Amino acid sequence: MSSTAVPTLDISGTPRTPLSRLVGVELRKAIDTRAGFWFATSIVGLVCAVLLIYTLAAPDGSKNLDDMLPIAGGVLGYFLPILIIMLVTSEQSQRNGLVTFTLEPQRSRVVAAKFLAGISLAAVVMVLAALLAVVFTGIGAVTGGAPDWSVDGNLLFNGFVLANLIGIFVGFAIAMLLMNTPAGIVVYFAYSLILPIAAGILSALSSGFEKVAPWIEFNTAQAPLLTGDFQPSGEEWAQFATAGFLWLVVPLVLGTLRLLRIEFK
Amino acid sequence: MITVDRLTKTYGAYTAVDDVSFACQPGRVTGFLGPNGAGKTTTMRIMVGLSLPTRGNVTIGGLRYHDIPNPGRHVGTLLDASAQHVGRSGREILAIAAQTMGLPKTRVDEMLALVGLTDDEAGRRLRNYSLGMKQRLGIAHALLGDPSVLILDEPANGLDPAGIRWMRGLLKGYADRGGTVLLSSHLLHEVEQIADEMILIGRGKIVARGDRETLLAGANGTPVTLVTSLDNTALGAALTHAGHGVEPAGPGLKVQASPEQVGRAALAAGVVLTDLRSGGAGLEDLFLELTSADAREAVAGFGAPTPGGIPA
Repeated sequence: MSSTAVPTLDISGTPRTPLSRLVGVELRKAIDTRAGFWFATSIVGLVCAVLLIYTLAAPDGSKNLDDMLPIAGGVLGYFLPILIIMLVTSEQSQRNGLVTFTLEPQRSRVVAAKFLAGISLAAVVMVLAALLAVVFTGIGAVTGGAPDWSVDGNLLFNGFVLANLIGIFVGFAIAMLLMNTPAGIVVYFAYSLILPIAAGILSALSSGFEKVAPWIEFNTAQAPLLTGDFQPSGEEWAQFATAGFLWLVVPLVLGTLRLLRIEFK
Repeated sequence: MITVDRLTKTYGAYTAVDDVSFACQPGRVTGFLGPNGAGKTTTMRIMVGLSLPTRGNVTIGGLRYHDIPNPGRHVGTLLDASAQHVGRSGREILAIAAQTMGLPKTRVDEMLALVGLTDDEAGRRLRNYSLGMKQRLGIAHALLGDPSVLILDEPANGLDPAGIRWMRGLLKGYADRGGTVLLSSHLLHEVEQIADEMILIGRGKIVARGDRETLLAGANGTPVTLVTSLDNTALGAALTHAGHGVEPAGPGLKVQASPEQVGRAALAAGVVLTDLRSGGAGLEDLFLELTSADAREAVAGFGAPTPGGIPA
């Protein structure tokens, strides 16, 4: 067995794994564990419960579809990113990255697949939540209200779809940066809950900070998407872009670089 | 099929793999042996692209692992049977891999049957698996894509003796059908019966290589014999007089000479032998001797290295 010719692999019969198949695999991995499945189910259940409470408690004049949508969107906003965090960090926390990145050594393709799977999953949950908003508006109508069924396009796009997509992207970035499930969730909540409160307190104490806050704090910058006429002004979009660059683009780039280089043990 | 060329991997000041070169041929089982922390796993991780080499490179069938499309169909890998989501069932773990590789679902059941995991066991979550069951699942995972190359890190770890025998048969049959097998172990007896070639590694460096016979021949410039007699003192004096190294060993003596030389010395000295055998010549001793300088503990019962022995 001392032939000098190195035996070669015949790779003609195995094309590269298509990205669509990788996305399918990542979608499956997001919900095939008990944690993933029940978390996804709970999000929808929670939207249902919050809408039910609102329908029972709110005055008849505030049961319009435009009232229901932001409530469903708000619940999703808090919890959808965690689903994404779990999907990404489990590769390291549960160590299955060893297998994932052996079966697809082009890590950027796995990152892309996770990203697309996360968005697909979010889209499904968003559609379900929007349907629930419609259902509960209907329940409001049946129980004596006269709800307005019209939907403000800015509310739907900016306040519901865009705001939730941003949450998912932030979760994705945090997950890749930390590669640890509990830490990812804690940091995400610190970012989404504690940071805006801190910014609010600082703004109350210092008018200088109040002027700067929307430029550097992403939650504050997103407020015009979620309130008022759901249509940010030119300056507000500029603030959104600046804060978004700091809190979304930079972590996303750093996180991707980290995931491409990290040694999965 | 697997070619490792001058591979070096450093972590800061620590050198995990130090200028390692070897090749694994199709139709043969190559055993990769060394104590814990010798660099076996690091070498295997570099082979499948999980770690980047500091210097040197590895090719499989002439290709870098990154350049093999759908690599699971060509290279079966088992690096750590526990490195799976503990919340997934064994069947689900294989199903995910089969889906990634684009294999039919029936392949999962075939592999489960091959490694002897029952339907009930396949349905359990990984957190309820014993180490032996995880290893069987890991071997099923490696074989799933019907690869022509197998890279297995400590596959026998946690298997019971029957399981180890089963695995030996499996890998031997796989190599006989033309497959390339590289398997690592820190236990020599797991490997010596099936490996056509062995590579011994200690502290990142290859310390010896070859098949069983070559290794033994290379190790024993001086044969070692264990002898017990009715008068060890007289026999020892006679052997020392004849120029052989002698040291006490248990109830008898350990002599650096062949059994025949010891027998003749005993005959000449008129000492009655009660036990005479070729000793210390097993691969186990060689393995410990070659790697003892690199092992974490000094090997009990082995004092100073024998003069004239192979420098580790």
